Amino acid sequence: MSAGPYNYSYIFKYIIIGDMGVGKSCLLHQFTEKKFMADCPHTIGVEFGTRIIEVSGQKIKLQIWDTAGQERFRAVTRSYYRGAAGALMVYDITRRSTYNHLSSWLTDTRNLTNPSTVIFLIGNKCDLEGQRDVTYEEASKFAEENGLMFVEASAKTGDNVEEAFLETAKKIYQSIQDGRLDLNAAESGVQHKPSQPGGRPGTAAGGDQPGRDNCAC
Amino acid sequence: MLAVHRDVVNIVQAKFLSAEVVKSIHLNVSSLDGNWCDEGRILALVEYNKTFALFILISAKPKPVSISDLSIETVIPIDRNFSCDTEPIEDSQCHIIFIITYKKTKLSFKIEIGVESSNFASEVIRSKEVSSHNSPVFVWLDKYLGTMNQQNRNSSDLTEQSDLPITRQHIAQGQTAINRESMLKYQLKLREPEYTQIQEFTVFVGTWNVNGQAPTVSLRSWLSTDDDPPDVYAVGFQEIDLSKEAFLFNDTPREAEWNKYVLDGVHPKAKYRCVALIRLVGMQLAVMVNTQHYPHVSNISYDTVGTGLLGKMGNKGGVAIRLQLHNTSLCFVNCHLAAHVEEFERRNQDYKDINARMNFRRSPLAIKDHEQVYWLGDLNYRITDLTTTQVKTLLARNEMTTLLRADQLNQQKERGNVLLDYTEADITFPPTYKYDLNSDTFDTSEKARPPAWTDRILWRGKGIHHVAYRSHMDLKISDHKPVSALFKSEISVVDQNRYRKIHEDLLKKMDKHENEYLPQVTIDQTEIIYDLVKFREPQTKEIIIANTGMVPAEFEFIKKLEETSYCKDWLRIIPYCGSINPGEKCDVKLIVNLESDLDRIYDILILHLKGGKDMFITVSGECQKSSFTVSMSLLCRINMPILRLSKEELIQAEKNNLLYSVPREIWLLIDHLYRHGLKTRELFESSALHEELIKIRDWLDHGSLDPIPGSIQATAESLLLFLSYTKDPVIPFNLHEACIAAATNFQNCRQIIVTRVPDLHRNVFLYICLFLQEFLKYSNDNGYDAKTLASLFGDILLRDVDRNSKPQASRGKANFVYNFLVNDLSSSIVPPK
Repeated sequence: MSAGPYNYSYIFKYIIIGDMGVGKSCLLHQFTEKKFMADCPHTIGVEFGTRIIEVSGQKIKLQIWDTAGQERFRAVTRSYYRGAAGALMVYDITRRSTYNHLSSWLTDTRNLTNPSTVIFLIGNKCDLEGQRDVTYEEASKFAEENGLMFVEASAKTGDNVEEAFLETAKKIYQSIQDGRLDLNAAESGVQHKPSQPGGRPGTAAGGDQPGRDNCAC
Repeated sequence: MLAVHRDVVNIVQAKFLSAEVVKSIHLNVSSLDGNWCDEGRILALVEYNKTFALFILISAKPKPVSISDLSIETVIPIDRNFSCDTEPIEDSQCHIIFIITYKKTKLSFKIEIGVESSNFASEVIRSKEVSSHNSPVFVWLDKYLGTMNQQNRNSSDLTEQSDLPITRQHIAQGQTAINRESMLKYQLKLREPEYTQIQEFTVFVGTWNVNGQAPTVSLRSWLSTDDDPPDVYAVGFQEIDLSKEAFLFNDTPREAEWNKYVLDGVHPKAKYRCVALIRLVGMQLAVMVNTQHYPHVSNISYDTVGTGLLGKMGNKGGVAIRLQLHNTSLCFVNCHLAAHVEEFERRNQDYKDINARMNFRRSPLAIKDHEQVYWLGDLNYRITDLTTTQVKTLLARNEMTTLLRADQLNQQKERGNVLLDYTEADITFPPTYKYDLNSDTFDTSEKARPPAWTDRILWRGKGIHHVAYRSHMDLKISDHKPVSALFKSEISVVDQNRYRKIHEDLLKKMDKHENEYLPQVTIDQTEIIYDLVKFREPQTKEIIIANTGMVPAEFEFIKKLEETSYCKDWLRIIPYCGSINPGEKCDVKLIVNLESDLDRIYDILILHLKGGKDMFITVSGECQKSSFTVSMSLLCRINMPILRLSKEELIQAEKNNLLYSVPREIWLLIDHLYRHGLKTRELFESSALHEELIKIRDWLDHGSLDPIPGSIQATAESLLLFLSYTKDPVIPFNLHEACIAAATNFQNCRQIIVTRVPDLHRNVFLYICLFLQEFLKYSNDNGYDAKTLASLFGDILLRDVDRNSKPQASRGKANFVYNFLVNDLSSSIVPPK
């Protein structure tokens, strides 16, 4: 077997931020393990998760930092924003206060990351429609005004979780393709890893082709 | 590898990861270093992911019996900087010196000459040749460099090599990627049957020694003789050009000419595409596949080996093409071995050389490593011990068995000297050599060579079923007849859909694994609250870090952004970093020791796991005020012990008028020393008990009607502590330089004290100096002189910003204070306003 398909070409660093109890760790868990973690304890620190995804045929390794939401840790978690290529900003659609604090989270994100960092707004717990405290339209408008990508998702049912992480990666990848994201910048949040030579099994596109063209046909 | 070593190899192999394969070892090696000769070394050639390294192991026994007998002494990566050589030993017939050079490093070993040494050396040379084609990456060696002792690391000079791609950081970042890749490869291989199925492909293999002739006739009767078109063609020629130019410059127009005839001669019922065409002098090999299979061909590579003149020229030797068809690796070798009846041993040697030296670029596989190998060519083995006439007679009687028994290839093969694992179909055709040109008549020239089956096709590997093996008498332009063999070969075909599904499946599992294999620990508490924190009364709290993950966890307390240390100066963390094995625990002590004036302590510590998450530990506690750490100015504005006042009252007191000219606490301490300590020897040098100091602190801070507790030395030490910790030093920081500069002249010193030092601080300074002058009057009893006291108090009265920065006393500060111990101070005292 040739060595091609299991290498990843890029590493993207993500951070997940937002008020305490909005479901940041559950979103990460749902994304990496495809499971809902009931009784998730408060994160005291920064959890770490990883998954390899594919965008436009490129394997990308996501390194996701899930930060503590408690206000008292705010000063410390700010250290983790640096070098993030993607920021998932989460609120709880059933608790308006978590939505009201978004502007403060957004300010931190804008101040502490670079301009090309993709910020994705996630309204979590959309499975709890009956307890809704923030309308979709309102949040959607907020996202639009601030140039954020936005979905409502549920870490419990898994709705839109995959999409949020993948869409963020696509946007980052697009920025790389457009040249808007400078890979050489130390804080781009993206590492490029050149792939090993070798094609997919069963194709002739391998990197092992003789360099010298001595084939007369 | 020698059979006797098999058990030792297994032991050596146990020293390495399973993906790191011990290819060859050499026992009983002595390491030579100058005149020293260290026995008990084992050399091991280890391969990982197509890269090679030479390990020098120390063995506790001549033949190790368990892994614990072995330790790694040095490791040398085999890349373009690597070379090896041998040197004879003057007084020894049975030993040689094996020299390994890596950049500036040269290592010499004494080894016994024999099969073991020549096998080992040739394996090393082979690996070096493979490496020189690649750009090997040696990250995998990093872990072994870590296990070698420091001395060896330095002497082997490996870690300093800037262009050697071993970096700690690399492995730290890429470790999971590397494991992941090899793991996935391994898993995919294990599950190969699930996503592949066997398909039979027809493989046509042809060989013809054309005796230097140019092509003039169609090759159809050779290449297209079967009803159905084959899927794969491998067509080999020998002697396509016998000219000197071809021999010397390896350049001939015949290549293109013959290849055109081949293309014209292939089966008309299918279209073919050339996979590769390779030639060395007269040996030419083309591999073609039916066009529909071409997209499934990958990893094409080729090489040539000359074994002719000087052991390297291309008049004899072999050419080979390797490729992967679907999921099966194939190798075709076309050879032309040494001529002449009696040279069968030379032919055996040529065969071995071709195997040993054939190096496919960007593929570490040797010929024998391929799943299917097809060996064709003019092997040149003859019929022995029979005259030409006898051979012809036997042929006429069709006594093939007798003849084939006399065939050198069959004989040598039977003895295991050549093509050991190869199979040949039964020969049913007449010898293919030597014919008169343009005839089917065996050699009628004077030499009248006996006919022989020089042209042969053999195979090796799984799932190859031979269908036909024949010669083609119609082609008469050479003194050889072409031979062909047809095979039905089992090729493992990847079902892309199933492959993708299994691949995705494995990726998902590995993601899960990777997350599971992240270091995981739990801490028993993340909020540490101390009891009332008091001045210089350390409190210890313990946290227990338990490794609940599956891999060793390396933890470290790290600093927050824009902070200089991982914790505040009132805290010590022991240990602040370490490694915990899975299932084990580590107790970490957090010791708080307050030496400054704080209302409360508060900090968030970051406990970082290398390659994993971070945890926050909050440390907090209320602090008790102490006269030792507040400012002297505050102390002079309160008329009772500091702890009798609330925090609010203390804040209020900052605005009070001065009540005292020196703090009560200093007066109490000095008064006590004045009454009871003037005649005490070593008053300021004996260290008091910690509890005594605490008692004196509490006596001062709480106030008491009892006499001052503890020994007189404890009172003296308390005075020194008081002066050392008071919020501002007695002589303000900004005057220190001026004081030191003025130290040679008392009047200048006096000037600073009188005009520049604030009133309160001047009072304290002079008050202490007057006491010390009094103390010096009893030097006969207490044993102190002015110089000693000056250097003791100089560093305290003029203490540094950073306490404890220098252990030794400052001469300038001592000189400054000295002036005030030996001169009359009455003129310096400013009367109270």
